[in-house]
Order: sequence, then C-alpha cells, then structure tokens
Amino acid sequence: MPRKLRSRPLTDNPQLLGLLLTLPALMAILAVVLIPIVSSFWLSLHQKDLSRPQYDAFIALKNYLTLLRDSRYLNSLWVTFRFSLTSVIMEVILGVSIALVLNQRFVGRGFVRGLMILPWAMPSIVNAAMWKWIYNADYGALNALLTQLHIIEGYRVWLADPTWATILIILANVWKETPFTVILVLAALQAIPEDLYEAARVDGASAWRSFWHITLPLISPVLMVASMLQFIWGFQTFELVYVTTGGGPFSTTELTTLRVYATTFRSLRFGYGAAMAYLTSLVILIPAVFYIRSAYRRVVEM
Amino acid sequence: MKRNPLYLLMILVLVLMVALSACAPAATPTPTAPASTSATAETTTPPTASPQPAQEKITVIFPRHEADIVGAFEARVREFEKTTGIKVELIQSDWDSVADRVIPEMATGGSAYDVVEFDNGWVAEWCGAGWVTPLNDFMPEGFTQGMIPGLVDLFSCPDGKLYGVVWNNDTRFFYYNAAKLETAGYTQPPRTWQEFKEMSLAAKDKGVVQYGMAPSWNQEWALANEFHFWTYTFGGKIVDEQGCFEFNKDPNTLAALQFMIDALKEGVANPAGLTYDQATAQDAFLKGDTLFLPQGIAGLMAYTQDPNISKVAGQVKVGLVPGATPDLSATLTLPEAYAIPANSKHKEAAWKFIQFMTSRETNKILAQEIGLLPIWTDLYTDPDLLAKYPFWADFQAQLSTARGLSKLTWYGDFVDVTIAEVHKALAGEQTAQQALDNMAKGLAQFECQP
Amino acid sequence: MRVLSKRFVSRLLLYILVIIIVVWTVAPYLWLIISSFSSKIELLTVPLRWIPSRPTLENYRSLFFEYGEESVNVRLFIKSLTNSVIISLSTMSIATVLGVFAAYAIARLRFRGNQGMILTMMSIQLIPPIILVIPLYVIMRQAKLLDTHLGLIIVDLSIALPLVIWLMRSYFASIPSELEDAARIDGCTYFDALFRIVLPLSGPGLVSVMIFAFIASWNEYLYAFIYTNINAKTLPVLIGEFSTKLGLEYLKIAAAGVLASLPPVFLALIFQRFIIRGLTAGAIK
Repeated sequence: MPRKLRSRPLTDNPQLLGLLLTLPALMAILAVVLIPIVSSFWLSLHQKDLSRPQYDAFIALKNYLTLLRDSRYLNSLWVTFRFSLTSVIMEVILGVSIALVLNQRFVGRGFVRGLMILPWAMPSIVNAAMWKWIYNADYGALNALLTQLHIIEGYRVWLADPTWATILIILANVWKETPFTVILVLAALQAIPEDLYEAARVDGASAWRSFWHITLPLISPVLMVASMLQFIWGFQTFELVYVTTGGGPFSTTELTTLRVYATTFRSLRFGYGAAMAYLTSLVILIPAVFYIRSAYRRVVEM
Repeated sequence: MKRNPLYLLMILVLVLMVALSACAPAATPTPTAPASTSATAETTTPPTASPQPAQEKITVIFPRHEADIVGAFEARVREFEKTTGIKVELIQSDWDSVADRVIPEMATGGSAYDVVEFDNGWVAEWCGAGWVTPLNDFMPEGFTQGMIPGLVDLFSCPDGKLYGVVWNNDTRFFYYNAAKLETAGYTQPPRTWQEFKEMSLAAKDKGVVQYGMAPSWNQEWALANEFHFWTYTFGGKIVDEQGCFEFNKDPNTLAALQFMIDALKEGVANPAGLTYDQATAQDAFLKGDTLFLPQGIAGLMAYTQDPNISKVAGQVKVGLVPGATPDLSATLTLPEAYAIPANSKHKEAAWKFIQFMTSRETNKILAQEIGLLPIWTDLYTDPDLLAKYPFWADFQAQLSTARGLSKLTWYGDFVDVTIAEVHKALAGEQTAQQALDNMAKGLAQFECQP
Repeated sequence: MRVLSKRFVSRLLLYILVIIIVVWTVAPYLWLIISSFSSKIELLTVPLRWIPSRPTLENYRSLFFEYGEESVNVRLFIKSLTNSVIISLSTMSIATVLGVFAAYAIARLRFRGNQGMILTMMSIQLIPPIILVIPLYVIMRQAKLLDTHLGLIIVDLSIALPLVIWLMRSYFASIPSELEDAARIDGCTYFDALFRIVLPLSGPGLVSVMIFAFIASWNEYLYAFIYTNINAKTLPVLIGEFSTKLGLEYLKIAAAGVLASLPPVFLALIFQRFIIRGLTAGAIK
C-alpha cells in the first residue's frame, strides 16, 4: 500500500479521535441511564410512599439507615450474594471443563458447539416456567427421574426445603448461564499455540501440570471478564426466582430484586425501594471496581 | 476469507437500513405485520362504523378473563364500538402485566388510559392517592340498584362515592369430588372444618386419595388471599374499621392459622402445597388427586368436562364452604372493576364504555358465552342461565357470605409481610402465635395511633 | 497394541463426556419440547410418561387460534415476532457499529479518560434496571417513545453496548499492533488502520459479538414488559402474558418458548464456526 506521506487530518489526533469514537457509545448509554440514575437516587433520599402521600418528605439518608436494620432486606442481600457467588464458581468450573472437552476433536463437534448456545438463547421467563414444572413435587420430571433411577425412595417437595430450594435455583441459573462462559473459554483455548503443549510434553509434564501452568494462565483474563459479568448478572436475576419459588420457602431464596420489586411495584414505596437498589449496587460496586481495575490492568499489560 | 468482514459490514448496513425503515411505519397507527384478512378487516372497521370525522377514541386496559378463550370480551368491545361510534384501543393481557403497566402510569400521573383495571386490593390505596374519578358524576339515579351490594361496597371509598364497576365478579366456591367422597363413605359434603379433616383422613385411610386438598400456599401474593379466607371461616378478624390490628389479638385468627398448619402436619393437606400456586392446586383437583377445592373459580365446572385437563367429569359438585362452625361459612370475592383514571381526557366516553360492558345485557351474554359470574342479582335466577348452569343454584347461598380482602391503604405492605411470616409458620419454622406477632412487628409503622 | 487400546479408551472417555455434556445441555429443553406436545392431564400422570401416549398439537393451536375465528393470537404472535426481529436486529446493528468504534479507541488509542470510560460503563451495569424502570418511564412518555420500536431500541442499546465494547475491546487488543504501526508509518490514519487492517482481521469476532448483542436484546424482558403495550410488544413479553389470575399457563409457555428460542439457536448453529473462531483472538488477551 504505497502512499504518499501527507499531513494527517485533525481527526487523527489520538486524544480527539479517542473521544470522538467513544463518546457516541457513552452517550447512547448515558442518554438512557443518566437521568433515571440521578432521579432515582434523589428519590432514595425521600420518603415517597404512594399509599401515604401525607408523609412524603426529604429525609436524607434515613432510608439507608432503616435498611441497615431491615432484617428481611439484609437476609435477601446475603441470599443474593450466596446465589451469585455459588453460581459464578460453578459456572467457571463447569464452563472450563465443558470447554476443555469440546476443544477435543470428535464427530459432530461443530453441531455440539452450536447447541451450547441453547440455554443462553432461551427467554428467561420460559426458563423459569420450565424449571418450576420440572421441580414440581407431585408431577415434576426431577422426582420422576430420580425415583426411576432409584436415587431417591419417594417423591420429595424440593422447593419447600430451604437448602434444596437454594441449590436447585442455583442449578437452574447455572444451566442457563454456563454457555456464555463455555463459548468465551472455548475461543480462548483455541488460541493457545499448540507448541506450548508440545514443549511441556517433551519436558515430561503431566496433563494436569500443563493445564495448570499453560492453559489456566492463558484463559484467566477471559475467565475474569466472564465471571465478573456473571456475578453482576447474578445480582440482577429476577424472573427465575419470582416464578419458581417467589422467594420461598419463607424468604430463604428471596433475592434483593424481589425485595425491590415488592417494595416499589406492590407496596408503592418508591423512595425506600430506590434506596434498597442503591445500597445493593454499592455493596457490589466496591469489590467490582477493584476487580475491574485489576482485570483491566492485567489485560492491558499482557 | 479475508473479504468476509467487508461483506459483513455491508450486510450490517443493509440490516440497519431495513430495520430503521421498518421502524418508521410502526410509529403510525397502521400495523406493520403481514396481517391476515381478518386482521385487516378489523383495522378497517371504524370508517364503516362511524361516518363523523372527529371520532372519539379511548384506551382500555384490563386482564383477560381466565375462561375467555373465545374472545368474548373483545367481541363485546367491538359491539360497543358499533353501537356508539367510539373507537376502543383494547389492551388485554394477564393480571400481573396489567398491574405492572397500570401502576407506573397512574403513579406518574399519566393519561394514557381512559378505562383501567381496578383490583379490589387497590381500592383504599387509589382512593387515598386520588388516582381515580368518582363515578357518581356520571351514573344515572339508581344505577347500582339490583347489583350485588357487596360489590358496590367494595368499590366505594370512604367519601361514600363509587369508583369502580365490577366486570369480573371473581367469587370463589367450595368444590368437592362427590364420587370420591362417596367411596370414602360420605354422602354429604363437610359443614365444618372438623368434618373436613375427618373426611380427608378417612379417604386417605381407604386409599381413595392421598390428601384431602392440595392448597395453594406458595410464598406469593395469593397466599394473603388464603390467609383472609381461612381467617373469615374461623370468624377471625384481620383489621378493624379504622385499620387497627386485630390479627394479633383475635383468638379466631390464631385458630385459623393453626388449622392451616395442622392440616399440613396431619396429612389433610398435601405438603407440596407449600410450593403450589392456584393453577397447580386446581390441576391436582381436576386430575382427581384431591377431594376438595375450597376456593375454586366460578368457571371450574366447564373445566371438569375437558378431557385434556380433567379426569373428574361428572364427579364434581358445589357445596357450602365449611366453617369452624356451620354458620361461619364464608368465601372470598376478588372482584375486578373498571375505573376511570383522574387524568383521563375522555371521561364521558369512558363512562359509556363501563356502562355498556357491565350492563345486564352484556353480563348475560358473557355469562352465556364463558360462564362469567354476573354482578346483577336477578341474573342468578334467570331461567336461560340456570338451564345452562344448574349449579348456579348452589352458588346462591354462598354469594351472600362473600367477603372481600381487607381495605387498607397499605395493603401491598400487608401482603409482603404476611406471606413471609405465614409461610414460615406453615413450614413449621415458627408457631402460629409467633407468626402473627411477627406480622404486627413487621407492620408496626402502619398500626393506628391511639 | 497397548497404545491403540489406550487411545481407544481415551476416545471412549471423550465420547462419554461429550454425551454427558449434550444431555446436560439438551435434556431440560427436550423436556420443554415434550411438554409442548402434551396435554395437561398427560403431564400430570404419575408415574411420569417420558413420551406422551397421545401427542397433541393443541398447545400450538391454542397459541395461534384461541380467541375464535378472529385469530387474534396469530396476529399478536406474528406481530410480536416481527417486533422482536426488528428491535433485536436494529439494536445489534447499532450496538455493533458504535461498539466497534469505542472498543477500537479504548484498545488502541492512548487518550485521557480511556480507563474512566470503561469503568463508567461497567459501573452503570451494576445498578439494577428494576430501579431505573419508573424514572425512565416518565422520560420515555415525555419523548413519546413508549410502545415504539425506537424507544425499545434505545433502551436495549444501553444493555447491548457495554457487552459489545467489553468483548470487542479484548478482541482488538489481541491483534498484534505491528501491522498498524507499519501502516501508520506509511501515512495511514487510525480510521484507515481500523477499516483496512483491524476489521478485516476481526470479521469472525464481529459475528460472535453480534450474536451476543442480538440475544441480549431478543431476551430483554423487564424494559420491554413495562414500556410496550400494543405496537412494539416483543416475543418474551407476549410469552410472559400466558398466565391467568391463577398462575402461569405452562403448556402455552412451553410451546411459545420452543418457538421463541429457535431463531437465536439457528443463528448460533449457522454461525457457530464464526463464534468459536471469532472469539478465538478476542478472548486471548
């Protein structure tokens, strides 16, 4: 491509061009969220109960202080944290394992890889309804399968047991979300040069060692991105739990999103609901920012 | 391969253009969908219906009636358009969707809707917030005469004015499987909860069914309805006229909750009920897995005839709801009404719509077509309807005992706290007394001041 | 011989693992398909029949033809399908165009605010949409965007864009910058470099990111649910409405869910080669 040297246009200045290229995207995002974020934050500093308009007032941080003593909210925060963290850990382990297997050569590999997107592509409301019915105590497929395989003696009421309800909801979430990790990791795996493994084999390294020393370090940036996104999405899960357990048994699977929904849309306490959402965001914001910064740095420096 | 991206970009741009150009017509009222002939016919009806140029148009939103699989409501709406020349934009979907669309619109003072769904659970709240228009300004003298009085009361606000006219008289009834009950050795349905329990256990012993009932006691909104229902049939109170707490002081309320807990413990009620919604409870009854459906919808009889969902055709009868004592029989009514938002710009037309849709004539047509429960007392003795629905004779006695949910401006909070504490008690994690005390604690900010 | 049998065992093991993975992925969906061809009473049978004795098309029929001769449902279904396609494709296209530029700048250009940009985008994602729904509702109403395709596209963009930027950025970062450096010495502008060097190398990556953006918009529920009514209702919202006062109508949801998940899955099957290849470079660094 022989070209004459010519003076570069003004738009080729990295500072100017950088802003020029990123601002449209940033503005597209901010156009939607900026005002709502500001106004709902402002709302969170008010008592604004549509059912009791006579008490509406600016109350500064009182909503937040009340939240810190609201045991049901605090419980939901813990439930959500446990839900997201367990989901992410399982998604990473499963995602990496599945990706490792699908990275081998076998008949129908392309088809199986394409199929992986299926759970991810299913609308979440359908996913929720499907699991609700699978877990049904009297007519569900889970009980039928486990009894026919003689794993359990008789039918169980899975979702009435706090431990099982928690596990099964996480399982349903993991089923739906894992493909995202699989596809990202699978891609990362394919980019690892084969000669790295060759060299390791010559050195007599076991498969486990070469996974630990070659594969894992090379896919870890992807895993960081994937797990962070999954963790955030975990905090925003709603339909799955709303439909399958409604937060039950006795609020042991109640996520913060369910609390926000009940407070805002059912009790019409907009100020308190907003405060709830912001406190939740704050709780994940702090670890997430550290995480993003470290992930970003690693990615940039590699 | 290297050229691929350029093609892709071209495709991208093409797609973008197609998509954006497809967007444009959507803003105009003409539907973009490749409509079938019937669809086009429908969108072109207005010109034939009304010649005048300045045609009034109202937007109406209410949920689908669960029995309305033939589009009977929509047909009535089109009939209304034809007779009055007012165009109706009709939005029908499920209850939750309607609620979550109507509430933000009302809360933010919008005027998108002219007639909205007005659920009985919202009455006190909406009256307090001034979201709805009093209908007394529009309705003719004696409009409510002949209407079931309870329905008028439920949609009247403290100012004594009427704010909603019921379109769906959703009163629940006690259904029992007479054939199975007879196998268990009983010819008459239970009159008290004690008998209810005995019959259930006897049927269980004889292997007729595993459980007397499959309750819908999942931790969700409707669990508060169940709490009301059982409390009423035990003669208990939830709140008094001023909204002051009674539930934590009334021994009958305690007895009701205790009965619910015991029913699960003693095998009268299916423990799976802790995870069931009303649809699943109904499924179990229609399949013949249970003897009783204490709170079934009015249209249930039609379902029993459908072999795709039922194995109990000809076995089901309607009885009076049992009570702690026979005289305490009570049932829940969960009516839904039409109301006019305070900000509507077409109140006159909206009122005409309400009047048309809730008239005796429309009520009767809908009753005949989909078994809608009328709001007019005399329709229950209408010979045409009785010929089609002989079991309505059994509904009669129960209708007079029908009661609504508590009228509270903070009903949403009441539900939120109640379902959590009651569910915990039902699961055996706390006693009935603890549950009621915890409810009082959780709702403390709403307790009336002395 | 020993080598051969060892190889055979490892092959066998591999296929067993693949089968387990396929079963795990497909089994629940298969059950959804079976449900969608069953009647309610069949589904309630104990012990459960895995294959319905009398398969029925009733659920699909009721999806389309309930509500009598007017066939309101066909109209509704086709309309929301069209809406979903329009909205998802538009979101995908716009998000890809804007996202590619932004990702390129963040990956390649040294400018102030670079890191702040990506931190902002990520922090915004932390705020649960459920709390933004009502304030945004008021804005959308004032802008007359409620129940329009455009309104939903704008909203969906705020979800799809960060995803596109995040993935494309790591993708661009993995393409060696030597080529561009050389080109720039030849006098290419950054734009030239992007269009002549970086994009041609990242076509497959583009495809995979586009699919993720498409699905993100296709399955978006909360905003679509509150902001659409008649004109712009999307397929997931329509599916969510298959419920009565008593609860969800599982069979109709199953039938509609099977249909609704087909377009993204076909897309994925067609482009799976690109997805894997496309993300290859993008994910590595």
